[in-house]
Amino acid sequence: MTVAAPSLRRRLLAAAALWITLALGVVGVLLVLLFRHHVEQELAARAQTQLDALTSGLAVAPANARVALATEPPDPAFRQPLSGWYWLVSVDGETRLRSRSWWDHAPPALPPRPPSRIAVDGPAGQQLLLWTRTVELAGADVPMVVAVGADASRLQGLTRSFAVTVSAALAALALALWAAAWLQVRLGLAPLARLRAALQQLRQGQATRLPGAHPAEVQPLVDELHAVLDDKQQLLDQARQQAGNLAHGLKTPLAVIGNLAQRMPGEDGELLRQQLERMGRQIDWQLMRARAAASARRTVATPVLPALDELRRVLLRLHAERGLQLQLPRESQAPGVAVEPEALKEMLGNLLDNACKWARGQVRVRLSVEGPRVRIEVDDDGPGIAPGQRALALQRGQRLDERQSGSGLGLAIVDELARLHGGTLELADADLGGLRAVLWLPAG
Amino acid sequence: MRLLVVEDETALRQQLQAALQRAGFAVDVAADGIDGEHLGVVEAFDAVVLDLGLPGKDGLSVLKSWRANGMSRPVLLLTARSSWQEKVLGIDAGADDYLAKPFQMEELVARLRALIRRASGHDHPLLQRGAVQLDTRACTLRVAGQAVALTAHEYRVLAYLMHHAGRVVSRSELAEHVYAQDADRDSNTLDVFVARLRRKLPEGFILTVRGMGWRLDEAAS
Repeated sequence: MTVAAPSLRRRLLAAAALWITLALGVVGVLLVLLFRHHVEQELAARAQTQLDALTSGLAVAPANARVALATEPPDPAFRQPLSGWYWLVSVDGETRLRSRSWWDHAPPALPPRPPSRIAVDGPAGQQLLLWTRTVELAGADVPMVVAVGADASRLQGLTRSFAVTVSAALAALALALWAAAWLQVRLGLAPLARLRAALQQLRQGQATRLPGAHPAEVQPLVDELHAVLDDKQQLLDQARQQAGNLAHGLKTPLAVIGNLAQRMPGEDGELLRQQLERMGRQIDWQLMRARAAASARRTVATPVLPALDELRRVLLRLHAERGLQLQLPRESQAPGVAVEPEALKEMLGNLLDNACKWARGQVRVRLSVEGPRVRIEVDDDGPGIAPGQRALALQRGQRLDERQSGSGLGLAIVDELARLHGGTLELADADLGGLRAVLWLPAG
Repeated sequence: MRLLVVEDETALRQQLQAALQRAGFAVDVAADGIDGEHLGVVEAFDAVVLDLGLPGKDGLSVLKSWRANGMSRPVLLLTARSSWQEKVLGIDAGADDYLAKPFQMEELVARLRALIRRASGHDHPLLQRGAVQLDTRACTLRVAGQAVALTAHEYRVLAYLMHHAGRVVSRSELAEHVYAQDADRDSNTLDVFVARLRRKLPEGFILTVRGMGWRLDEAAS
């Protein structure tokens, strides 16, 4: 057994899921970064405004050159202890002024000319972002550093809550996309499922062509398949034809040799006649098998009555001497069997011919449908076959009575053909006194 | 009784011709469908043995064309095609009998005799007329219970007359059914055969109808 290739559906679904997850993940990260950046910008803008206010309020006392704040920034957050908003003014790394919000915590020491934005440890474990500005005031010999700080945890909190919201939204989107991908794969692969169902019909013989219209992507496959089927059918027909030609080509020479053997006296002549008869039987048997091999795989529904009608005409003609009565079932019973017409006629023809050969005056055919099978009963009023001899009658090449002409294959051929088509042949005693042959065939 | 055998295989054709002649028939042969079709229409045969797989024109078409043209003589299909489907086609095309190759020559002869007998309205192989009894199976003649030997030509003349008892059979008609096409058709020899037959049959059994031909004695039946 070969290892099964990975399922197309699973592959498509896995690829879609992976791609959707990756893309949405990247989008989520980008959105959060963007949000954080945006919020930080907001904070920075607010801090700059405060810085402006602080800077404009700064003054240096001429007397002692001390820095003083003429007006404090109006934001009440600066006055509320540990509010998260702080300011300070430092000179030479030494804090000169600071907001009340620092409470009893010492603001960090700022170096002269620090970067405009730094992160430092704040009071009560807060992480502070400090925006600084270096200011040179008239009357002061060293520049002053003015700084406004904000608690970074607000920024983080906002970012986190935004990230949660965005994640939820993206997760929902991912689910929707996964569902869409699943649906798409399902719809996209539906023609393949239909193709499979069609192929199944084809294999079971309910169709000789793939039924239905197929999408442009699948149609070439269907066309190729039809081409392969045609090739196969052609090969089969050829093989059948060749078997037939071979058989028919042999029969005329056999007839010629047979006629010669007929005039040959003694044991040699007898031996030759026996061998010729065997050859004839072999040819008939193999020809029957070659025909059946091609037809037994196909399923059709062949009505039984018309076949019986045709054969009745032939048999009454062939046995015209006998003045036989050949009684067929009434019109209303018209079951069909899952056997090709030729094979059906071959079976019925042999059965009827056998019955006509032995009948004293009457042959009767009865039909019935029993469940999934059709029962075809052929009775005659001839001598019948003793129960012990019946198995022998079905054996290839057995002729129970040498006086009757024919290859002796009749009942054996019917038996074999019936079996090849999923049926059986049974022999019994007929009400009419002779043989009853019951042919069971699958209903069509 | 005159037969046409249409068979393309030379060896079989010769065997058929010889065997059927031995059985008392006058036999014409054709080796292809076109010749066979022509002969079947222009010559008067009592029965035809027709192969199906023929060159020129296949046997089934020949048969259909004969039947379409009103040729009503019995036709026996002698063919390698032995499936029942093929038998149905053959019979439906107008064949009267069907024999599959390989076959027994005796069976062919028996079937041909039966066909000819039925075609002339006789159901029984024994043709009886007064004390004269002709067995068309065994080709034997009995007069008042005594076996009488006949030559092939004598048998054919008597058999034709017996099959068509009750009407006048003309000289040319009798010649057509007694001789094969390529035989020496001197119709005077018919008088010789009739004369010989008369010696073997009861007095006045075969009557001469002057200027028309022969007829069997009405009173004898």
